[in-house]
This record gives sequence, structure tokens and C-alpha cells, in this order.
Amino acid sequence: MTQQQIDQQTGDEGTDRTGAAAVPQTAPETSRKSGQETGQPLLKVTDLQRYFPFREVQGLKMVRATVKAVDGISFTVRQGQTLGLVGESGCGKSTTSRLITRLDTPTAGTIEFQGRDITHLKESELREIRRDVQMIFQDPYSSLNPRHTVGTILSTPLKVHGLHQGKEKARVQELLELVGLNPEHINRYPSEFSGGQRQRIGIARALAVEPKLIIADEPVSALDVSIQAQVMNLLAKLRDELDLAFIFVAHDLGVVRHFCDQVAVMYLGKIVEYGDKKKIYEAPEHPYTQALLSAAPDINVARGIAPKERIRLVGDVPSPIDPPSGCRFRTRCWKAQDICAQQEPPLLSAQADESLRGKREGGLHLQACHFPEVKTDLVAEVESA
Amino acid sequence: MENPLNAMPGAAFEIEAEATPPPAVVAPEHKDVRTGRSPGQVAWDRLKKDKVAIVCAVIILFFILVAIFAPLLTALQGTDPTTGLPASPDRTNTDLVDIDGNPLVGMSPHHWLGVEPRLGRDLFARWAYGARPSLIIGFVAAAASTIIGVTLGLLGGYVGGAVDRVISWVVDFFLSLPLLLLVLAIVPIVQLRIAGGNDLTAEELSTIRFWVIIAVLVAFGWMGLARLVRGEVKSLREREFVQAARAIGVPTHQVLFKEVLPNLVGPIIVSASIAVPAYITFEATLSYLGAGLVEPTASWGRTISDAQNSFAIYPLWLWPSVIALSALVLALSLLGDSIRDAFDPTSRR
Ligand SMILES: Nc1ncnc2c1ncn2[C@@H]1O[C@H](COP(=O)(O)OP(=O)(O)OP(=O)(O)O)[C@@H](O)[C@H]1O
Ligand code: SF4
Ligand SMILES: [Mg+2]
Repeated sequence: MTQQQIDQQTGDEGTDRTGAAAVPQTAPETSRKSGQETGQPLLKVTDLQRYFPFREVQGLKMVRATVKAVDGISFTVRQGQTLGLVGESGCGKSTTSRLITRLDTPTAGTIEFQGRDITHLKESELREIRRDVQMIFQDPYSSLNPRHTVGTILSTPLKVHGLHQGKEKARVQELLELVGLNPEHINRYPSEFSGGQRQRIGIARALAVEPKLIIADEPVSALDVSIQAQVMNLLAKLRDELDLAFIFVAHDLGVVRHFCDQVAVMYLGKIVEYGDKKKIYEAPEHPYTQALLSAAPDINVARGIAPKERIRLVGDVPSPIDPPSGCRFRTRCWKAQDICAQQEPPLLSAQADESLRGKREGGLHLQACHFPEVKTDLVAEVESA
Repeated sequence: MENPLNAMPGAAFEIEAEATPPPAVVAPEHKDVRTGRSPGQVAWDRLKKDKVAIVCAVIILFFILVAIFAPLLTALQGTDPTTGLPASPDRTNTDLVDIDGNPLVGMSPHHWLGVEPRLGRDLFARWAYGARPSLIIGFVAAAASTIIGVTLGLLGGYVGGAVDRVISWVVDFFLSLPLLLLVLAIVPIVQLRIAGGNDLTAEELSTIRFWVIIAVLVAFGWMGLARLVRGEVKSLREREFVQAARAIGVPTHQVLFKEVLPNLVGPIIVSASIAVPAYITFEATLSYLGAGLVEPTASWGRTISDAQNSFAIYPLWLWPSVIALSALVLALSLLGDSIRDAFDPTSRR
């Protein structure tokens, strides 16, 4: 891309990067589902930060450093809604998941669940939250205790929260049926199940406490492709039947595409683009999102049509210990300018997020780039198909 | 506007037919798998098929029975015709030795192994009773050091932070001490502190010494397991099933004892089964060196020490203890190996 094009782009998009005007004026869409705006705010995350301090020996010196795993991210999830959290390995997705489930405590920022600040609740005060927020894990081989039978695994949450007292076994069998497993297998050990079946057990465990929000940390990435679809279908079915809110973590945009209402794209601990699914997939504005979209297999391959433009990301993700100054994506960005190294493109804040809601007909769409540019080429042929 | 993307073929959610297969489809996949067996049961089944393990278990059981029924076995010898008294491990019989201390009785119906030179005590009784301190010390010390090692290992590994640093430091400190030298010096000192000043009988002193030895063995024997457990717990606590238990709200102590600990049963049993023969050997060594059990307690280690100089003249004084000690330690060690193999099929001999 030439400088001229960039100038033109920035002019076109009217990138006055201050306050609410950060959102470029793209064609408004009238066919958006309006339900997305009206749901109850279930989870509200504001400026969430998690730094891991560590000591490292360099020569004879002990050097203190921090891994900025999550560095100021904000988003909201509403009742019955699904947010996709997407980014490459190491960008802080799992750390974010563990913060929201309060398996870990943030360095800064707040987490509100149903209006209640749960950021610094002690383990003893978290009981209710533990019922309302559940997690599905990535690795079905490590997420089930090999020493417990399925019956024990699924009755533990019931016992801990005193649910279905005296009828635990019936409930466990009901849960097994709910996730498409044979209720007779209650006395089997995890090793007697396949990966997909194990993941179903993990899903049943999360459902046992009847949660409102489920965080699924790459729930299918460890499974065979053929089984991925089955598990995704199961999750979609359960979500609709039980009116669950989801945070679905994935490392590419392909998997979450048909599952999410909104998508947040993460890069090195920050959200670089956040918006309604349609916006992210059909009119992505951040170069990183565009690159991810271009790489997502089910867009290019499944359709059998080569996209007009193919973006290939080069280089590795820089270390979160010493992230690049300014825009963190600049070391891999083909549009990077001097300003990108000097100034960090404005971050998303919950306030900006709320103030934008309802004002813009086009729905939620935010990104953090000095030179945003709508790229419809990546999905253009779908429009005309 | 209908989003055409949703109607795309091959999209994740279009494969509705394959969704949630009915239970009937799931079942046949595991026809061949034996169900409902925990890894512990699998290890137990393997152990039962191990011939070496069976032989060792029989030998160990034999000595346990000897220890339990020592009074009964001793009584089987009947009443000594010279003294008119039944055999006993403790009673000295000057009638049965000559003026130089040489025994007047050899292997005989009333003294199956003859009598001890100098003191004239019944050797079979001392041999049978001698199984008791070895086995008690071995098993009690192993149990106690296992409990301490597991507790501290769990604590350090799971809690982390300052607690972990302190525990690790103590482990390193104890491991760095010259064990034998210290034990040789410590046992008499501890004994003196407990018994010091009081007028105690030889039996009472001997009992105190017995427990002091167990305490010292435990004090220097828990670190290996603590270190092992700590390492295992550190890696287990990052495993997703522990995270899942925490996310469910399982209380910390239950996470430790119901989620983490069951995964350590193998290493713990293996470590304990290896510790038993080690402690027995150590007790025998201490007794042999004179820092172990004291008279009048019958001990194989002491007997070996006392008898070693005259084994050519009085073989029945020395050899029964040597054979018993070797057989017991060997059987326990081999059983320990078998248990390890049973828990870890990849290390099969
Ligand atoms: N306990 C920890 N101590 C130090 N650094 C950590 C810790 N946990 C995570 N990190 C670091 O934080 C960064 C983000 O990790 P995280 O696991 O959240 O990434 P991720 O997006 O889930 O990646 P993946 O796709 O590989 O699961 C990584 O660089 C990781 O090394
Ligand atoms: S702000 Fe970042 S993403 Fe945007 S052009 Fe500059 S380097 Fe690229
Ligand atoms: Mg992860």
C-alpha cells in the first residue's frame, strides 16, 4: 500500500481518533438484530489488566520483569449473548478467561457480574459466582480427573452447591443425556471415553450448576475436525435451550463465526477490534482482523472461491514482556507509519462502548488503529453471490 | 438482508444430522473396554499376577506372624529342665553357661537355637522377638514420614509463595545434613534429654530409645517424599481438572484431598514401600553401631553386632538374625519394585 492510498484512506474514513468518533462511518445496516441491544448486561469488564511479575537471571544480575498478559481490555456480555474472543496463541485469551471466572485476580480493572463488582471477592465470597459463571476447558484429556468416575465428576458440583440433594444420580444421568452421552456410563472413568465424549462430559460438568454465563476456552481446538462440528452444534443447541450467555475463546475467526453475536479480536493483551459479528466479518477495519479473516479456513476454502486479496501475516508475535511501543501490531503491520510507534491508537473503554450504544445505527464496532480501512474484499464475493 | 454467510455449505452449523449422536451410537465404541476400573485397581490386578511380588508378600507375612506370635512360638519350646522355667527372651540363665560364659546347651528341644553365650538367654526367643522392633520401626517410621512428607509437599506445592519457600528451604537443609553422623550423635542426646535425671529401669530406657530412634528416622526421612509430592502438586495444580474444581467452587481442602491427592497414590505407595526396608536396614545399622536399640530389647541388629566376633564358634547366635534381616529387607525391596512396576507399566522389567 502506498502512502497516498493511506492518506486517502485516512481521509475517507475520517479518522479523528478522539472519543466516540473513533468509529468510522461505514454504511449503516438496517437489518441488524435489535435484540442484541436490549439484553440485560450480565458481565461487564472494564480496563482489565493482568501482569505476571517474574525474576530472571541475566548474567550475574537478577532482573525483574513483567509479562503483560492482559493489558487493559473492556467488554460487556448480555443475557443470552455470545462474545467471541479471538487471537493468536499467547495473546492473553486464557488469562482473561481465568480472570473472569476468578481463578486468578486481576492486577487492575474491574469485573462486574449482574452489576456486582466481583473483582476482589475472596474465595469464600465467590460461591454464588461459581454457580453463575462456569468454564469449559480446552484440553479434554487434562480437564477430567483421571481418578474419578464420570458419576463423581458430575456429582461434585451438585454436592458442592447442595443441588438435587438425594437425587444426584438421576440428575447426573439427565446431564449425560443432555450432552448426548449414554447415561449408563456413569461408572466409567475418563480414560474409557474418546476426546469428543470427554469434552461432552466437561460441558455437562459446566451445566451441572445451571450457570448463566459459560466461558469456553477453545473448547474444540483439541478435537478432530469432524468432531468439532458435533461439539459446536451441541453448544449452540444448549445455549439456545438454556438461554446461556457465552464467551467463546478461539484462535481463529473461522470457528466462532456462526456462534457469536459479537467478536473481540485480541492482540498481545489488548483488544484491537470489537464489534457485532457482521461488522467484524463483513467490514473488518483493523489490519490484524483482516489478516486473521484472510487466514480463516472456512471462508476461503469452504466456499471454493479465492478471495481477491490474501493477507499473509509475517513474523512472530512479539514478547508480552516487552511489547512494541505505540501500536503493538506495528512490527507486523504493512501499514505501519511513524505515528504507530509513537502513539498508541486509542483503547477501547467501557465508557466509550456504552456511549456508542444506540447512537450508531450500524451497531457496535470499535477498533484501535491509526489508519483503519474497511476491507470488504475479504468477503466481497459473498455479497454478490 | 439475509446474511448469505449463514447459508454457506460446510459452515460449522450446517451439519445438523451429525449433531449429538443418540446414546446408542456412542455405546458400541467401548465394547472392548473393561469398565469401572480405577488406575489403582488396575495396579492391584497387575500386582496379583506378579509371582515375585507374591513370594515376597509371603515372606513378609511370615515375619509379621513371627513377630505377632513370638510369645506363642517361644512357649512351644516348653520348660527348661535345668532351670524349671519357660523360655523367655529377656531372662538371663547363669545356670546354662559355664564360668567362662560358654553355653552349656546347644540346639535342643527346649532351646531350638541354643542359648546365648555369657548371659544364657534363649536364642530362639530372642530371634522371634527380634522381628518386632525391625517391623514396627520399619512400618511406623515409613507411615509417619509418609504423612509428614505428603502433608508438607501438598502444602508447599499447592499454596506456593512464602510457605513453599520455607518448606523447600527446610527440605534442602535436612537433605544437606550428614545423616549417619548426626543420628549417631543425636540419639544419645535426645535420650538424655527425655530420660535425664530420672531413675529409670533398663526396660524403660530401652523403650524410650526405641521411640527416639523412630522419631529420628522420621525426622530425617520425610524430605524425599515431600520434594516429590511438591513437584507433582505444582504440575497438577495447573492441570485443567484442578482449575475446573476451583471454578465449581470446591473448597481448597477438598481440592487437595479429593482432586490432587488421588493422583499421587501411586508415587506415595511406591515411596512408602521403598522406605520400609530402608528404615529396617537403618535401624539394624544403628543398633550394630551401638547407637540403636539397647538391652534388653531383642534386636537383630544388636545380635549381629554382639555375635560377629564369635560367629565361628557360635554360628547359631549370628546366622538366624543375619538370614532373617536379609530375607525381610530383600522381600520388602523386591515387593516395592513390583509395586512401582504395577503402577507404571512402562517400567516393567
Ligand atoms: N502464570 C503465569 N505466569 C507468567 N506468565 C504467564 C502466566 N500465565 C500466562 N502467562 C503468559 O501470559 C501470556 C498470555 O497467556 P495466555 O495463556 O492467556 O494466552 P492464550 O491467548 O490463552 O494462548 P493460547 O492460545 O496458547 O492458549 C503468555 O505470554 C504467557 O506466557
Ligand atoms: S496503528 Fe497499528 S494496526 Fe494501525 S496502521 Fe499503525 S501499526 Fe498498523
Ligand atoms: Mg489459552
